[in-house]
Parts: sequence; C-alpha cells; structure tokens
Amino acid sequence: MSVEESIRIVPKGKVAFIELDLIGEKVNKLSTPVMERLKEVIQEVEQSEFQAAVFISRKKNIFIAGADIEEIKSMKEKKDFAQAISKAHKILNAIEDSKIPFIAAIHGACLGGGCELALTCDYRLCSDDKSTKIGLPEVRLGLIPGFGGCVRLPRTVGLMASLDIILAGKSVNPRKAKKIGLVDEVVPQTLLEKRALEFAEELIQKNSGKRQKQWKPRSLMERALTSFPGRLVVFQQAHKKLLKQTKGFYPAPEKALEVIRKTYGMSNREKALLIEMEAFCEVAVTDVSKHLIDVFFMMEAVKKQTGVEDKSVKPRPVTHMAVLGAGTMGGGIAQVAADCGIEVRMKDISNEAIALGLQAARKIWEKQLKRKKINKYEFQQKMNRISGGLDYSGFGNVQVVVEAIVEDMDIKKKVIAETAKHCPEDCIIATNTSSLSVTEMAKAHPRPENFLGMHFFNPVHRMPLVEVIRGEKTGDEAVATIFELAKKMGKTPVVVKDGPGFLVNRLLLPYMGEALFLLEDGMSVEKVDYYYTHKFGMPMGPFRLMDEVGLDVGMKVLKIFKASLGDRIEVSSLAPKIAELDRLGKKNKKGFYLYNDKGREEGVDPSIYKELGLERPTDPLSEKECLERGIFQMINEASLALIEDRIVKTPEEVDLAMIMGTGFPPFRGGLLKYADSLGSSYIAQELDVYASRLGPRFKPLPPLAQMAKTDRKFYEMRSSSKSEKNSTPQPSARV
Amino acid sequence: MSLSERDVVIVEGVRTPFAKAGTDLKDIHPADLGKVAFKELLARTDLDPEEIDEVIIGNTGNPSDSVNISRVVALKGGVPLKTSCYTVHRNCASALESISSAYDKIKSGTLDVVVAGGTENMSQLPLLFTKEFQDLFTEFAYAKTLGKRIDALKKIKLKYLKPRISVLEGLTDPFVGINMGQTAEVLAKEFGLSREEQDAFAKESHDKAVAAREKLKEEIIPVFVPPKYKKIVDQDIGPRENQSLEKLRKLRPFFDKKYGTITAGNSCPITDGAAMVLMMSRKKAQQLGYKPLVRVRSYAFAGLEPERMGLGPVYSTPLALKRAGLSMKDIGLIELNEAFAAQVLACEKAFASKKFAQEKLGLQEAVGEIDREKLNVNGGAIALGHPVGATGTRLVLTLMKEMQRRDVEFGLATLCIGGGQGGSVILEREVN
Repeated sequence: MSVEESIRIVPKGKVAFIELDLIGEKVNKLSTPVMERLKEVIQEVEQSEFQAAVFISRKKNIFIAGADIEEIKSMKEKKDFAQAISKAHKILNAIEDSKIPFIAAIHGACLGGGCELALTCDYRLCSDDKSTKIGLPEVRLGLIPGFGGCVRLPRTVGLMASLDIILAGKSVNPRKAKKIGLVDEVVPQTLLEKRALEFAEELIQKNSGKRQKQWKPRSLMERALTSFPGRLVVFQQAHKKLLKQTKGFYPAPEKALEVIRKTYGMSNREKALLIEMEAFCEVAVTDVSKHLIDVFFMMEAVKKQTGVEDKSVKPRPVTHMAVLGAGTMGGGIAQVAADCGIEVRMKDISNEAIALGLQAARKIWEKQLKRKKINKYEFQQKMNRISGGLDYSGFGNVQVVVEAIVEDMDIKKKVIAETAKHCPEDCIIATNTSSLSVTEMAKAHPRPENFLGMHFFNPVHRMPLVEVIRGEKTGDEAVATIFELAKKMGKTPVVVKDGPGFLVNRLLLPYMGEALFLLEDGMSVEKVDYYYTHKFGMPMGPFRLMDEVGLDVGMKVLKIFKASLGDRIEVSSLAPKIAELDRLGKKNKKGFYLYNDKGREEGVDPSIYKELGLERPTDPLSEKECLERGIFQMINEASLALIEDRIVKTPEEVDLAMIMGTGFPPFRGGLLKYADSLGSSYIAQELDVYASRLGPRFKPLPPLAQMAKTDRKFYEMRSSSKSEKNSTPQPSARV
Repeated sequence: MSLSERDVVIVEGVRTPFAKAGTDLKDIHPADLGKVAFKELLARTDLDPEEIDEVIIGNTGNPSDSVNISRVVALKGGVPLKTSCYTVHRNCASALESISSAYDKIKSGTLDVVVAGGTENMSQLPLLFTKEFQDLFTEFAYAKTLGKRIDALKKIKLKYLKPRISVLEGLTDPFVGINMGQTAEVLAKEFGLSREEQDAFAKESHDKAVAAREKLKEEIIPVFVPPKYKKIVDQDIGPRENQSLEKLRKLRPFFDKKYGTITAGNSCPITDGAAMVLMMSRKKAQQLGYKPLVRVRSYAFAGLEPERMGLGPVYSTPLALKRAGLSMKDIGLIELNEAFAAQVLACEKAFASKKFAQEKLGLQEAVGEIDREKLNVNGGAIALGHPVGATGTRLVLTLMKEMQRRDVEFGLATLCIGGGQGGSVILEREVN
C-alpha cells in the first residue's frame, strides 16, 4: 500500500482538501503508517499558503471506520500501546493547534479513531445519509477511546450526551449529531463537498476560523447537572447504571467513566490526555479486551464466509419465502424475514393461528415505531410483507420454505412431502427443528439436496444465532443460500452437522440438567442462578432459562437426549416430577419463578421445593462447585461434539455459537476459550473428582481425556481438527 | 369462435367479503382492503409479481391521502417498483372500467399481464367543511396579525359548521340534482312497479345469497382486521338469514315519503370491499401454464338520462352483444347489479320491450327477455352490498366462477352507473 497516495492534498484555491482514500483497503482506518502520513500532510498544509483545510473521504459510505484493530491485537504490552498513542496524540493535537481552521466533512461511518480525529477539527459537517454514523464504539471491544475521545467529546457535546455515547459504545445519526452539537451542519450528501468548500471560504473571509467548541448548558436542568454537585450525582448515577448492566465483568466502560470524571473541565490538555492514555493501556492489556476482539474477528469472519468450502457455489437470491406454522417460532421467523424486505407467506391450520403470527410480528414493529426506530410508513411496509393462508397458495412463487410446525417426525415428514409438491423444483425447504434428525426428515423430500435445517432460537428477533444444519444429502447450494439468507436476516449463521441437539442445545443440556441435581443437593433456585449470572456472566441462570424454554419442552427434550446420547446423560429424579406439575414456565406464568401478566419475572416461587418433595434449601455447595458442575460438563460434551463427532469444524465455531445462541459471556471469549484459560488437565481432573463423587455423567470423555494428558488446548488443535485450512483472509478491522 | 393469441382471458379472481358500511371492515383503509385482495390473488395464482405489466384499480371515494390508490394498493401488495399503476373512475362501474381498460390494452398487444379490480371503503368517506368555513379557515391561516385572526373567527356562524356529507353528495346527481334513490323512484313510477314486487325481489336476493354462502366462499378471502387480527372477516356482512316480506313491508319509503316505494330494504346498502382479477393475453397465460376461467368477448358503455340511470344496462348490453356477435338468447347467466329492486325490475321490462327498443335504443326488436332463472343466481347487491368502486369486478368474478360451475358458455355482467350510463361485459367460458 502506498501511504502517500492514501492521504493526499488537493488544492481548492485557499483551501486544502485532505482526501482520505486508503489504497488497497475497502475502508479508511487509522494505523501507524497512516498516522505517520497524516503527520506529513498536516505539516505540509501548515507550511503552505492554505488558509483552511477540509478532511474528506473518497471511500463509499465510510469517513474513517476507526483504528486498525489488527494492530491493536498485535500489541501485547502497555508500553506498546503507550508509544503508539502518544505519537497519535501529537499528530491530532497538531490539527487542534494549527493556525488554520480544519473542517471534517463527514459522510458514512465516522467511528472510534475517526470520530476522535473529527473532534480535533474546528468544525464538523456531515451528510444526511443513512450511512452516516458518528460514535465511539471502543467499549464494545473492551477498550476506551484512546485518541482523546474521552476528553474532547465531553467538551464538545457536554457530559450527558458524551456519557451516553462513550459508555454504551454508541453512535449517533446525523439528526442526533446536530441536536447534541457534535456537528455544525447536516448537509444533503450530494452537496457535502461543495458546502464544505463554501464553509471553509466563509471562514477565511470572516477571518474567524479557529475555535474549540465548548458545550454550553441550554436549560436550567442542564446547568444544574453540570454544576459541581450536579456532576457528582451524574457520575454516581452513571456508575450505578453501568454496574447493573456489566455486573462488574466489563472494566472498560467503568474506566472510561473514571477518565471522564477526572478530566472533565480540565484546562491542561496534555495532562488530561495522559490520564486517558494510562487508562487505555490498562484496559487494552486485559483478557476481556483480547476476548472481545477475538469475538469481533470471529463475527467479521462469518461475514465473509459462504457456509460451504467450494467458493464457486453461489447463494440463490431470496425474495419470496414461506413459513409453515405461524406459532412462536414460525411467526418470529416471518417477522425477521419481512423485516429485511422478504415477502413472506405463512401457512397454518387455522385463521386464528395466522392471526397470532400477524399479531406477534406487529407487536415487535409497534415497539420500534414507538421508539422511533422506524416511521409509520416503514411500519406499514414491513407489515404488508406478511400474509397468511390455510392452503399452499403462494408457495409456487417462493425460493425458500421454513418449516416450524409441531416437533413430530411423522407429521413433519408428511408435511414436507406435501410442501415439496407445491413449490418450484429448486425451492429449498428448511426445518426449524430443534431436536429431530434432519437427515431422517430429508427422506420425505423428493429432492433431499434441497433440504436442510435452519434452526433459530427463541425469541427469534433477539437471538442472533442460526444453526444451519447440513443433512447427509444436503447440497452446497442449499447450504450457501440459507447461510446467506441468515446473514441477510441479521443473524450469525454457523454450519453444523446433523446430530442430537445439533450444537447449542446439545451443550446446553448439561447446563440445565445439572441444575436439577444442584436443586436435589439442597441448593436454592436463586442462588444457583445468581452464581451463573453474577459470578460467571451468563445472561440467564439455568432455572430461569428452563422457564423461558418451557418446563414441558425441557423435560421432553431431556428424555429424547437421554435416549440418543445414552449414559453420559443422567436425568435427575426431579425431572419426571416437574413434568407432572402444572408448571410450564414463563408461558403459564409459573415455573421455578413466577411471572406477571406482562411476562415480567417476579421472583422464585418458594412453594416449588415443597411440591418437588424437597427440604428447604440450605445452599450447602460452594460457588465453584455449582459453576464447575454445569460448565465443565458443557466443555466435556463440547470436546466430543467438536473433536469426535465433528458437529462443527473449529473451536471458533463452538465459541461463536455459544455466545450468539446462549449469551455465553463474550468477555470470556466463548466456552472453549474459557476452557483453554483453565487448561484441559485441570478440567479433566476436576471432572474425575465429581465423577467419583456424583456419578458417571462427569467422566471425562475420550477426546478431553486425551487432551488432558498433555494439557493441550482446544485452540491448539486447530490444524489437526480441521480438514481444510480456513483460508478466509483476515478481516479488515477497526475501532 | 376460434382462439387467438391475443384473446383476453381471466385467470383467477378474488375479493374481500363485502361488509355493510360501519361494520367489520370500517376501519380498514381502502388501499389496505385492496392490498389484501391483491396479495391473495398473487398467492392463489403463484404469480411472480415481476410479470405484472400494469395494475388498474377502480375507486370512487378517492381518499385524499392516496389519490392514485392503484399505485398504493399495488406497492403494498408487493409489485416491483417498475410496474405501472393507475386508478380509474366511472362511478358505479369503476371496477368494470378497470377490466375494460385492461381488455383494450391486452387485446391491442400493448400489454400481456394486468391486475384489474376495485376497492372502496364507503365507511371512510369523509365529512367535508362548507365552502364558507373553508374560506374563513384560509383567511385565518393567512392573517398576519392577531386582530385579523380574531376578525376571521368572529365571522364564523353556526351553520357554517354543518358538515357536507360526501357519501350523500356522491350519491346525488350533480347534473339534474336528484339522488340515486330518487332516480329509482322515477323508474318505479314510470314502469308501474309495486312495492310488493320490489320487496319480493329483495327477499329473493337475500335468500339466494344466503343459500350461496358456500359457493361464494370460493371467491372470498378472509380479512384479518388489524391491529389485533383477532377479528377475521370471512363472509359477506349483508345477506340476512331470515329476511321476510313482513319485515320489508314495515320499512318506510326513504326517498319519497308519501308516494314512494323505494325503501332501505329494497335498495342496496352502502358497503366496504375490494375485488381483483388477473387478466392476460392467451399467449402469456399459456406460457405461464395457467388455465384461464373465461375469456372476455366484448364490452360496452352507453349513456342515457341521468334521472333514469338505472336503465343503463338496457343501453349498454345490446352494444356489447353486437360487438361479441351474440344475442340475448345466447347468454346463459347474467349478473345485473342490484342498485335498487325497482331498477332491476325496470331493466327487465325494458329488455323485453320492443317499444322501448324502438323508441329509446333505435333498434327494431327488443333486446331480449331476461330469464329470472339465469339472473343473479347467487344473490345481488341488495343482499351483498355495493361498494361502488369495487362492484364491477365483483360481478365479473361471481359470474365467471358460476359459469364454470354450471358449464355455461356465455355470461353477461352489467350495471347501471350514477350520472346516467350503463356498462356491460360479455364473457365466454374457457374449456381447459
């Protein structure tokens, strides 16, 4: 890459246009060589006759996407970061300190380092385009803004608006950016360049170019909140809110808050930037940050994958789709598909069922309408895309059918055979089954190459994972089409092989199953869930999760798995008892927890213990044991699923699936990253101890036992556990 | 008649239930009613919307937020952006005009695939401000000073606030100044039609519609009423299970209280509904593998005195027959819109009258008798209702389905048109 050409000065009379256009890259991002070049450019502008300068990008819909994450990933020690950052500070300060005014003309993504560069400019204009987003997403990668964002954003837009952006890693659209004073003007995209030049010329004429925008409170309330005592309250509240959200697992936002608290209103810029730099170095070397960056790269990698090895296979476009069954899953799938512009036809056995599907979709969009995420026209357009009927009307014009009817192999087979008759020859039928064999089901399809699994998780509109299940006879084109469709729907697809529970449910089973044993052993529901959520970081404890899944479903699945997985699944004696109670979980507002009419959880139902014939819980087990008994069983099962059964091919896929499908704490990098951090020997050893004490379900499975001998890590096994080298190029990354 | 590639065929059609105004469909915008029928037509025919050349929709209410309602219906219904769409208005025959327009364009070879239909929500026809109030409103809006604004406000008189009811204005002839009911009164008196005759005809319409519920289901699609979708309307709201002559007799004449015979019971109710048909050239239908139900043989529109608008079918039908090269005795089934019982009965007499033919139509012989056994066999608008901008397509739809059921070769769909016109379409059954 020729850095010289990547940033160039184009003279426009007295104004220098500094054009950003990284050669050989899709996006502009700030790396060390780019910063070096920026330094030269700024010096050159300074030393010439130019009286103003405009930063503008020549990339499509990108201003500057951020710093180069690849580079961040490669840096190991605090001093590496400190060195890079202090250099960057000098360069960015030079913009702020220049004798001529700088203007950022922003169109497209202006994030992280890009936003921080814009903040050093005297003025910011942005386009009104949908692609224009300005923000500081650093905390999402376990980092904090390190190029002065923690210092300059609060100065520019005030404390409240900047906390909003920095602590949540948010970005704002042009309208919001103008409202909070982050930009000075919002300009129609096609006029941005012209207006920027005009703006610069006006500054030159008025000879009043240089400024440092200072936020001013506009109301009594704002004034009160920025007063010294007001600020204390603001910081305290923000901290409280943060802790509630992060449960203390994510240090970055807390660190950012601390930096802002210390530097807000500080007149000594160098000192403020130093505080920010020190804090950045601290968080940048944490495992949390490393893990979040790993997860980011995994997700970026998925964007480039096609779901099949043969790169010549192209996904077919999907414009029309049908969904069999308008229930919770079918309705949810229809909503997500219609949301991304696909015309959806639902089929069910009664008009009432169709009505429920329509209603469920409408509710989701109504919420978005209320929050002004969409306007009423977008709302109507989305709603218009879903229709339903009792027969196969409309199936003759769809490219994909997703089946989401009752979990019964015979019924599914019958319906699939029937459906295939009403669809075009090359239509792909996908089953949303969570527990039945895709290969077996495919036997009902006259063209099994066009049949596979597309397993969504409940609630569909919120759970990002889709397991794309490849049956024995599934064709590449079907996999590639469904993989691409899942991405289009905003989901993260992972291709898995057919097998009981596929990947995620198979691994979740011991998580839920073991919870019942813990209950038997005298643990309370709330304690177990507390350990898993607040000590380990799961979004939901196992009991709460069982309520969500439905106790009837959970117990049924437990039985199915017991039948197919054999001895390594032990089922607590409580399971059959639970199945007999009138407790279905959240759906009848009564499970381990009670729920109000709105479905909000209202605490554990204390009568559950008595109903199950248990003594009052005494919580005799340690946090360590409670967590290990569940998590280590998951790791044990994962070793078999990955290494022996080859359900997925890489440890990355296991980790991504668990994070996206179960909310496994991303800061731990995923189940197997976590396992690697403990070491296979330790895990196997602990499992052995539990096995001797509690039963064979803990016995280390052969692949794990094998690993334990040399304490090998899952991520070290990559080459041996992969049939082909993953040739995906490293994604371009940025903060 | 020999087959031609440019024959205009109708592949399929559907409609929403017709619901008396103010009942279950009252809150659904006419564009949304149209959309439901449109989407369902596409679904039933498995048609790739890319194939549609044009969408032609009839509508008379002309909702001010969707003035070219055809475009709104079509886009909501999922047509690609490239597709041409326009709205037609010929009062009561708007949705027959959409079919005749499509016929011309397909027959000429200009287009191959057209969705034609109509949609109307008469419940939603607005109340309008009086001219005086509008003027004051404008004055107020343009007033620059508070004083001027107060001046404007002071001029308002209570009578200015009385709204103009657009549904009533729409049903009043602006040329001769009498409303549609009164035109029926004119016919009742001129043709000597008794109250009893009219009531008996009305009862029969209800009885036939009730008996035909199962058959009509084939052309009706359910409407899920938002926002809850719990209410699902899947049959017409209009036909009465137990309509009796006694009940009809009790109703007071509405338009001429003293000497009149036209009552709410022997007139069609104002109604909400939509209907759509898929029309193609024969060649295109063959290419896409469809088995059309009928072919359109001919159509005609003709005008007459606005105050006798109910006789419109008698004027347009002989023209359509002539264009098709057929005569009345060839016709095996007739859908003649029942705006008023009196109007249908008057048409019957005029169709059969040589004198009428000679004096009014310039023909030597009578147009031909209407056989009651062939007329509106599944009931008519008196029971089913008359959503003005949708009825034309409903007549064609009901007719073509029944022609298939009864294996009838030729059928006539005709209606009278407010303002003094008649419209007729002649269909020929397709044998597949």
